[in-house]
Amino acid sequence: MNNALEVSHLTKDYGSFKLDDVSFTVPGGTIMGLIGENGAGKSTTIKCILNLAHRDAGEISVFGLDTIIDERAVKAQLGVVLDDSSYFNPFTPAQIDRIQKGLYPQWDSAIFQHYLDKFSLPERKLIKDFSKGMRMKLALAAAFAIHPNLLLLDEATSGLDPVVRDEILDEFLDFIQDETHSILISSHITSDLEKVADYVTYLHKGKVALTGAKDELLDTYGKLVCGRTDLEGVDPSLLGGHRMGQFGCEALVKDRHAFTRRYPGLTVEPASLEDIMIFTVKGDAQ
Amino acid sequence: MKGLIYKDILAMRRLAGTYLLFFLVYGGLAIAGVFDISVLGGMVVLLGMMIPMSSISMDDTNGWARFAVASPVGRQGIIKGKYLFTLLTLAISTVLAGLLMAAATLLGIGENSPIDCLLITLCCTGAGLLLDAVLLPLTFQFGTEKARILNVIFFAVLFGSMVLLGGAASHNLSLLQPPAWLLAALPVLFALVSIGGFAISYCISQSIYAKKEF
Repeated sequence: MNNALEVSHLTKDYGSFKLDDVSFTVPGGTIMGLIGENGAGKSTTIKCILNLAHRDAGEISVFGLDTIIDERAVKAQLGVVLDDSSYFNPFTPAQIDRIQKGLYPQWDSAIFQHYLDKFSLPERKLIKDFSKGMRMKLALAAAFAIHPNLLLLDEATSGLDPVVRDEILDEFLDFIQDETHSILISSHITSDLEKVADYVTYLHKGKVALTGAKDELLDTYGKLVCGRTDLEGVDPSLLGGHRMGQFGCEALVKDRHAFTRRYPGLTVEPASLEDIMIFTVKGDAQ
Repeated sequence: MKGLIYKDILAMRRLAGTYLLFFLVYGGLAIAGVFDISVLGGMVVLLGMMIPMSSISMDDTNGWARFAVASPVGRQGIIKGKYLFTLLTLAISTVLAGLLMAAATLLGIGENSPIDCLLITLCCTGAGLLLDAVLLPLTFQFGTEKARILNVIFFAVLFGSMVLLGGAASHNLSLLQPPAWLLAALPVLFALVSIGGFAISYCISQSIYAKKEF
């Protein structure tokens, strides 16, 4: 299986924030979820992939092509949806069709029209009058119409209601049916990624806190629910952060199978991606 | 590239009415004898500056540049597109102003001959090229808001100097007289400086944009 995207030792220093030695791989035919709290470096990573920001160190390749040396060839294969999709605002979808035709050599008006119909988007209405959900669907239609091999989506589902989000997630799953297609989607709505992602990379304070197959991560991590005295008796090196409540405690268990063998009397529940994120941040503070 | 120019034309189409109004007001005032008809040449400079700046301002407002840099045209294509659009704007304004001035002259309005009108229009196109050569890199470097302030300072200095020189000449103050050969070669030199300045400006803008982050 060829890799769609390889990010290797990516570093970008803004002074007040540093993306530090970030490495991950998106295998072909898969969806990679890039998760992390606000300001963790998700958008900076995507900006570096798109050369919107100049990286200080590291290498990035898309289908084996370097994103700087082969920039044009790389970008011709990328469908991009950025977090703020207001760039189409002054135009109508019909005008976007003609503009994009002049930007992307492989732009397919028929596909664009297909998605406009599918998403019930009016062709002659100004996009600034669209709702946020409609604008996001339009941005997706435009991304699909370039016949991309890799979709890069920066917070594409943020701010959308669950129905629209679900509809868009279904489109991602359809897209991925072709084995040559891949998606990198950054989001802090981890429930969306639990539905669709095959792999997850968790960025925390500009560094990769964990990366790997989603199912393996969810199988490895666990959530310990116990009383305060039980928690105090647990080896802290097995935990990734905890929360003390009035009626009990919760803690992130780094390897729930090993933990259960060592502490068979304690209850360890499966952890969600959200649990992993929240407890990792708490573990930092503790 | 074609997409970027088409996008600029579309975006500016909505302002076409305002620009047409400029032409009509100034044309009307010229016909009424308030201004000489050659004032329409000034419209070439004005539109040649206003339209590209408005288009960059609109790009900034909508975050268009970020999207365009992510497309295959990249940073270089954006600058190339904006300079081509500026040239297109100047060409259309030149033709429009030239035709209006020639028509007015043929109808007996104004004192200039059609050849004079053509020369005035071309001079204004050269001035427009030079001004855009200064304004475009400033706008790409500082953004439209900051560049607007710099533009006002630049114009104040430019027109202040021209007023001072004009005042000095009208008061018969002895100004340095350029040699005759320089005066004779002035139109060609001006054309070369305008075109060369625009080409240098393009290279500077490319270098500014290559370093920019979005």
